[in-house]
Order: sequence, then structure tokens, then C-alpha cells
Amino acid sequence: MSIPISGLNNNVIGVTAKDKVITPGQAQSNFANALKNAINNVNELQNVSDQKTEALAKGEIDDLHDVMITAQKASITLQATVEIQSKVIDAYKEMMRMQV
Amino acid sequence: MSIFNALNASSSALTAQRLRMDVISSNIANANTTRATVNENGEFEPYRRKMVEVAPSDNSFKSFLNKATNSSSNPATGVKVTGIVEDEEPFKLSYDPTHPDANEAGYVQLPNVDPLKEMVDLMSATRSYEANITALNASKSMLMKALEIGK
Repeated sequence: MSIPISGLNNNVIGVTAKDKVITPGQAQSNFANALKNAINNVNELQNVSDQKTEALAKGEIDDLHDVMITAQKASITLQATVEIQSKVIDAYKEMMRMQV
Repeated sequence: MSIFNALNASSSALTAQRLRMDVISSNIANANTTRATVNENGEFEPYRRKMVEVAPSDNSFKSFLNKATNSSSNPATGVKVTGIVEDEEPFKLSYDPTHPDANEAGYVQLPNVDPLKEMVDLMSATRSYEANITALNASKSMLMKALEIGK
């Protein structure tokens, strides 16, 4: 059970665990941090998009396309996040369906 | 984020084309303006046609350093406006003695704006804008298709 988890951990944050053994607790916190950072990045793009939309409504924006492109970027990153989230949940469900 | 390089390049091009459109609109609006500036003799001078100068936006120190050290740089180069220059073509002379800015001989200097040329530039700016939006949508649909991998 611990082997697939550390494999996942390596892929997500790029930490090589060849020289030292990572405890499950460390692996969990590493994974949690990576996830938190990724979600913060997505949230940042959403916030920028919100600010630009608000500025557009206030009439403070010069370029309409800038607002649209920022909104598209936010939408793409959010969709990527949702896609990854559903993959993770799928993996979890697959594990839970395993016969013991 | 590097996945948005193409989007950023297209975005800079859209900004540049919008500025071109603004400048062309100004040229058309001032096609008959005879009192744009005052020269050193205190006389009015007509409007001079303006043009936009564009350059790729990668001629920064960073890009040259990257090129010199062969390190990977952003391959998607945007565009930036380096300045707005005036057309040095001479003004058009037209005989109109009743014009308020006509000289003693009855001739009046009109701006060196050719409305026909401006209309062609306007079409070119519009089409370039559309082309960049098409490129942008293509990049976006590529990213969205990538999200469908494994579905």
C-alpha cells in the first residue's frame, strides 16, 4: 500500500525519495502542500478574473479582450482542476472497491 | 504559466491591433483638420497622418541573455507598440480662398491623410484582430481537448 502512495507523491511534487524513506505522514503533508499550492494558483487566476470583470463593469478597463482572455484562463485552469479532482476521486473509489 | 504563452502572445497582438485601429480612427477623424498644431511662426499647421510602429516584444535584455546562453526561453513572442510616428509626406494644397486658413494666394494646406489608404488600413487592422482571435480560440480548444484525455 505504501509503494503506490510514494510513487504518486514523487509524480506530484517531484521529490526523489531514493536516498531516504518518507514516512506516510510526511508523504501526506507533502501531497497536501502540493495540492494546496495548485489550488491557490487556480484561485489566484479566479481572483484576477473577478477583479478585471469588476473593473470592466466600473468602466476602468481599456481592453475588452484582456478581460475575456483572463476569464478564459481562469475557466481553463478551473476545468483542469475539476478534471484532476474527478480523477483522484475515481482512483479512491477504485481502491475502495477492492476486495479484501 | 507556460501553457498560456500562446494566449499571452495573441493578447498582446490584440492590444496592438486595437491601438492601430485607434490611430486610424484619429486619422480619419482629422482628415480635414487644418489647425492641429501651431508652428514657431505662430501659424496653424494641419494634422499630420500618424502611423503605429510595432516590434516583437522579445528584444529585452532577458531574451538576449537567454539566446546567448542557449537556455530555453519563451518561444511565443508577443508584439509591442514601440511608438507612433508621423507621416512626413507634404500636405495637400487646395485652392479655396473662402477657407479661414487660406493663405494670401487663396491656397489652403490640408492634412496628408488619404481616406482611401486609411480605409484599407482599417480593414487590415480588423482582419488582423480577427486572425488573432482565431489563433487564440485554436489555442484554447487545444487546451480543452487536452483536458478530455482519458475521459
